[in-house]
Amino acid sequence: MAEFFLETVWIVPFYGFMGAILTLPWSLGTIRRTGPRPAAYINILMTLVAFIHGTIAFNAIWTEQTHQLGFQWLSVADLSLKLTVELSPVSLGALELVTGISLLVQLYALGYMEKDWSMARFFGLMGFFEASLSGIALSDSLLLTYGLLELLTLSTYLLVGFWYAQPLVVTAARDAFLTKRVGDIAILMGMVAISAYGADLDFSDLREWVSSHPFNSVGAALVGLSLIAGPTGKCAQFPFNLWLDEAMEGPNPAGILRNSIVVSAGGYVLIKLQPVFTLSPVSSDVLIVLGTVTVIGTSLMAIAQIDIKRALSHSTSSYMGLVFIAVGLGQVDIAFLLLFTHAIAKALLFMSAGSIILTTSNQNLTEMGGLWSRMPATTIAFIVGSAGLTSLAPLGMFWTFHRWFNGSWNVDWRLLGIVMFANVLSAINLTRLFRIIFLGKPQAKTRRAPEVPWSMAVPMVALSAFTLVAPLASINWPLWLSPNIPISPENASNVTQFATPLLILSGVLGCVIGSLINVRQAWARSSKVYVRFVQDLLAYDFYVEKLYEVTIVAAVSSLSKVTSWIDRYIVDGAVNLVSLATIFSGNALKYNVTGQSQFYLLTILLAVSVLLWSILNGQWSTVTNYWSSLIS
Amino acid sequence: MLSALILIPLVGSAVVGFYPDSKGKISRNLAFFCAIAVLLINLYIGWNFDTENTGFQFAEYIPWVEWLGLDYNLGIDGLSFPLVCLNSLLTLIAIFVTDKNISRPRFYYSMLLLLSAGAVGAFLAKDLLLFFLFYELEIIPLYFLIAIWGGKRRGYAAMKFLLYTAFSGILVLASFLGLAWLSGANSFAYETLKLHDLSLTSQLLLLAPLIVGVFIKIPIFPFHTWLPDAHVEAPTPISVLLAGVLLKLGTYALLRFGLGLYLHAWVEVAPWMAILAGISALYGASCAIAQKDMKKVVAYSSIAHMAYILLGASATTRLSVTACVFQMVSHGLISALLFLLVGVVYKKTGTRDVDSLRGLLNPEKGLPVTGGLMILGVMASSGLPGMVGFISEFLIFRGAFPIFPIPTLLCLVGTGLTAVYFLLVINKVFFGRLTDNLDSLPSVKWVEHVPAFALLFLIIAFGLQPNWVIDLSEVQAIALLTGG
Repeated sequence: MAEFFLETVWIVPFYGFMGAILTLPWSLGTIRRTGPRPAAYINILMTLVAFIHGTIAFNAIWTEQTHQLGFQWLSVADLSLKLTVELSPVSLGALELVTGISLLVQLYALGYMEKDWSMARFFGLMGFFEASLSGIALSDSLLLTYGLLELLTLSTYLLVGFWYAQPLVVTAARDAFLTKRVGDIAILMGMVAISAYGADLDFSDLREWVSSHPFNSVGAALVGLSLIAGPTGKCAQFPFNLWLDEAMEGPNPAGILRNSIVVSAGGYVLIKLQPVFTLSPVSSDVLIVLGTVTVIGTSLMAIAQIDIKRALSHSTSSYMGLVFIAVGLGQVDIAFLLLFTHAIAKALLFMSAGSIILTTSNQNLTEMGGLWSRMPATTIAFIVGSAGLTSLAPLGMFWTFHRWFNGSWNVDWRLLGIVMFANVLSAINLTRLFRIIFLGKPQAKTRRAPEVPWSMAVPMVALSAFTLVAPLASINWPLWLSPNIPISPENASNVTQFATPLLILSGVLGCVIGSLINVRQAWARSSKVYVRFVQDLLAYDFYVEKLYEVTIVAAVSSLSKVTSWIDRYIVDGAVNLVSLATIFSGNALKYNVTGQSQFYLLTILLAVSVLLWSILNGQWSTVTNYWSSLIS
Repeated sequence: MLSALILIPLVGSAVVGFYPDSKGKISRNLAFFCAIAVLLINLYIGWNFDTENTGFQFAEYIPWVEWLGLDYNLGIDGLSFPLVCLNSLLTLIAIFVTDKNISRPRFYYSMLLLLSAGAVGAFLAKDLLLFFLFYELEIIPLYFLIAIWGGKRRGYAAMKFLLYTAFSGILVLASFLGLAWLSGANSFAYETLKLHDLSLTSQLLLLAPLIVGVFIKIPIFPFHTWLPDAHVEAPTPISVLLAGVLLKLGTYALLRFGLGLYLHAWVEVAPWMAILAGISALYGASCAIAQKDMKKVVAYSSIAHMAYILLGASATTRLSVTACVFQMVSHGLISALLFLLVGVVYKKTGTRDVDSLRGLLNPEKGLPVTGGLMILGVMASSGLPGMVGFISEFLIFRGAFPIFPIPTLLCLVGTGLTAVYFLLVINKVFFGRLTDNLDSLPSVKWVEHVPAFALLFLIIAFGLQPNWVIDLSEVQAIALLTGG
C-alpha cells in the first residue's frame, strides 16, 4: 500500500492544481450565493490530501532506493525531452515541508483573509502556488523545474498583485515578475546551451555529463553564470533583491510562503545545479561573492527598516546569501539544512507578524508597543521563531551552523566571520523588533489588540512546536551529498575548535546590543548629517532601486524610445519619402501630357534614337553580355 | 477534397455577395456555414492524413494553361496542413466575433470568405504560379476590408498595405519566373522545379528577390512598417486573420520555396538572415515597449515573434525547421487571442490607449474575465511553460543555438522583453483603480468569450502535448532539408 503511494507521489502537485481549478466558479463570480468560503475549504482539503499522500510516501522512501520516474514527453528530430521526478528522502522531505507549511498557511489564511471579498481567488492562487512548489520539490529535470519556476513567477505576480487597485501593489507585482523573469531568461539560455551540448537536462545525470563536458573555460563560466542568475532572482540576492522587499505589499499569508518556501525553491534549484558550477571556478567564486555581498548588505538593511514585514524580508535575503555561499563551497548538505531551518523559522516569524498586522491594522514599527500581554500566542511564536533563526538557543540554526563548522570538511576563518556577522545582525534585528513590538508602552494602535482567532492561532502554535523539534533534522542529517574531504591532522584548522563558542558568543552579542540600544531614538531621524546619511543609506536599501533606475530601466526605456523614433521617422519616413517622391514626380510629369501630338512625336523620336544608337554602337551587346555572364 | 477547401469559401463568397439581404443575418449565417464546412473537411483530412509520407497527399491535378506551364495542381503536406487548419479555425472565429450590426454586411462577409479562400489556395498550391495567383488574390479582399471597415486612417493604412504586398508579390513572381526560365522547365510544378541543378550564383540571384518579397510579408525589419498601420486600422476580426494566417503566408513561402528550392544558396545567406532575425526580434520588442496603443504593442510583438521563425529557418537543423512550423501555429493562436481580447477592450471602452485605461480588472464594473484571459494570453506570448509559446520557441532556440549562438541569444533577450512590454500594458490597463469615466462599462457576455476560451484551450493543450502538432509536420520539415 505504501509502495503504491510512493510510486504515485508525482500526483501530489496535481492536488494543488485541482484545488485551484475547482475554485474557479467562485473566483470568477459564477457562484455568489455561498460566499467565497467553500472555495477555501476545497483548497484546504486538497492540500490536506496532498500532505497525507506525501507523508505516507515519505515514510515509505526510507526503505527504498532513490530512484527516478521518467515520462517521455516530446521527441522531435534529434531531441528527446523527458520529464522526470526523483523519489529520494530529500525530495520527498522537501515535498513534505512544502505541503505542510502550505497547509498551515492556508488554515492561517482562513482567518487572515476572512473579510476579503475575493478570498476565493486568493485560495485558488495559493493552490497554484503550492502545486508549482511541490512540483519543484519532486522534479529531477531542469526542463520541468524551469517550467514550474515560471509558473511560480506567474503566481507570485498574481499574489503580490492580489490587491491590484493599490498603486504600490502594481509596481511591486511588476518588479517581482520582471526581476524573476530576468533570471528565468538567463536559466533558459543556460538550459538551451547545455542541452545543445548534449546534457539530457536531468539533474541526476548532470554530474556525469559535467565530467565529459565539451566547454572551454569561457563557455563553462558563461553557462554557470546563466544558471546562477535564475536562483539569484528567486532567492532575492543582490542585485535582484528588491522585489522581495516590495512584494510585502501583497497579502501576508502569501508572504509567509514567499519568504519561507519560495525563496527556498530558488536555493533548492541552485543546489540541484551545483555540479554545473564545478565546471568553472568562476561560477563558484561568483556564488560566494554574491552570497557574501547579500549577507552583509541585507543584514544591514534589515536593521534600518521600520516596516515589520520589510525588516523580516531583508533578513530572508541574508540567510539565502548563506545558502549561496554554502553551494559555492560545494557544501550541499549544509545548504539543504539552511533552507530547511530557515524556512520553518521564517514562516513562523511571518505568521506572528501577520497576526500583529491583522489585529493592529498597522505594520509601522514606530506605532507599536506592549503587545506581549495582549497577544501571548503571537509573542511566543515570535520568540520561538527568533530562537530558531539565530544561533543562540540550541534550535535549528544553531545546530545547522554547528554542523557546518564541525563537518567533515575544512572551513575558512573568513566564512566563520561572515556567518558570525549575519548572526550578530540577525540577533540585533530580532531583538529590537521584539522590544519595539511586544515590550514598552502600548500605543494608540496597540492598546486594544486582542489575540488572533483560533484559525490563525492554531497553525501558529503548531508551527512553533514544530520549530522546537526541527533541530532533530539538523542533528541527524547524514551529510551524504557533499563531496567529503576528510580532515586529517595536517589540514585541520583550528576554526573547528572555536567555531561553536564563537557562534554562541555572536548570538549573545547581538541580543545584548539589541537590548541596550535605544530603539526609539536610534530609528528616529537624526539631526547629525553623517548618522542620517547612514540611516538613509540603509533604509533606502543602499539606493539599489536608484541604481536600477539609472542603469537598466533607463537603458531599456531610452532604447525603446529611440527605436520607436527611428521606426516612425527614419524607416517609415523613408517609405513615405518614396511615396511622396512618386506623387511629386507624377505631378510634375503630368504637365508633359499636353495633348499636342508634336510633343509626343518628339519623345518617341528621342527614345528610338537613343535605342538605335546603343544597338548600332555595340552598347547593347555589352548590356546583354553583362547579364548573361552574371546569370551563367 | 482539397478543391472543396477552396471552392466552398469561393462559392460562398459569390453567393453571399449576390444574395439580397439587407440586414446581414443571412449573409452571416451563410458565411458561418461555409466556415464550419471547411473546418469539418479539415477534420476529415486530419483523420486520413499520413504523417509518415514525405510527399504531397490528396493531390489534385487538372491541366490548365499548358503553353504557360500553369496547372491547377493541389496537394497538402505536413508543412501546409497545420496552417490550413489554423486558417479555417481563425476564419470561423473572425466571422463569430464580427459585429452583428456591421455596415454593408454582404460585401463584408463576401470579402472575408474570399480572403480565406485565397489563403487556403496559397497553402495548397503545388504550382508556383498558382501559389502566386492566390498570394495576390488574398490582397484584394484584405485591402477592401481595411479600407472600408477600418479606423480613422484606414485609407492610408490600406494603401500602404496594398503597395507593400503588391511589391512583395512582384518580387516573388520574379523569382518564380526566373527559376522556370533558367532551369528550362516547361512547367511551374513544385516537384519538377525542385529537381533543378542551377549553379550557386543563379540560385543566389533567384533567392534574393524571393527573400525580400517574403520579408515584406512576414514582416522582417526594415520592411515591416505596413504592419503596425494595417493592424491599428483594421477591425478586430481582420487583425485576427492578418496576424494569425496572412503573415504565415510569408513564412510558409520562406520555408517551402526559399529553403525548399534553393537549399545551396540558402545556406550561404543563412548567417546574414540569422543576424537579421536577431535584430528584427529586438527591434520589434523595443518598439513595442514605447507604444501607447494596445494594438500596436501586439502588432510589434508579432514582428518580434515572427523573427524567430526566420532564425529557425536559417539555422536549417532538423529540429529548428520542424519547430518553425510549430511556431507558426503557436504564433497564430496566441496573436489571434491577443487581438481578440484587445478588440473586446476596445469595443467596451472605446479606446485602446494605455494611458487612459485603468483598473479594468475590477470584478463588478470592469472586465475581469477579459483581464484574466489577457493575463494568460500575455503569459503565453512571453513563453510561459505549459503553453504553446514556450515549447515552440524553446525548440527553435535549441535547434538554432548550435549553428548561430549569438543571434539565438539575441532572440532569447527578445522573449525576455516580451514580458516587459506586455506587463507594462497589463499593469496600466488592468491593474490600479478603475477610473470614473470607465465606471459603467457594458458587461461582456459569456458567449463573447467563447472564441477566446477556445483559443486558450488550444494554446494550453498544444503546450502540454506539442506532439499533436509536431508529429504532423516533422517528416516533411526534415524532408525540406534533405531534398526528399
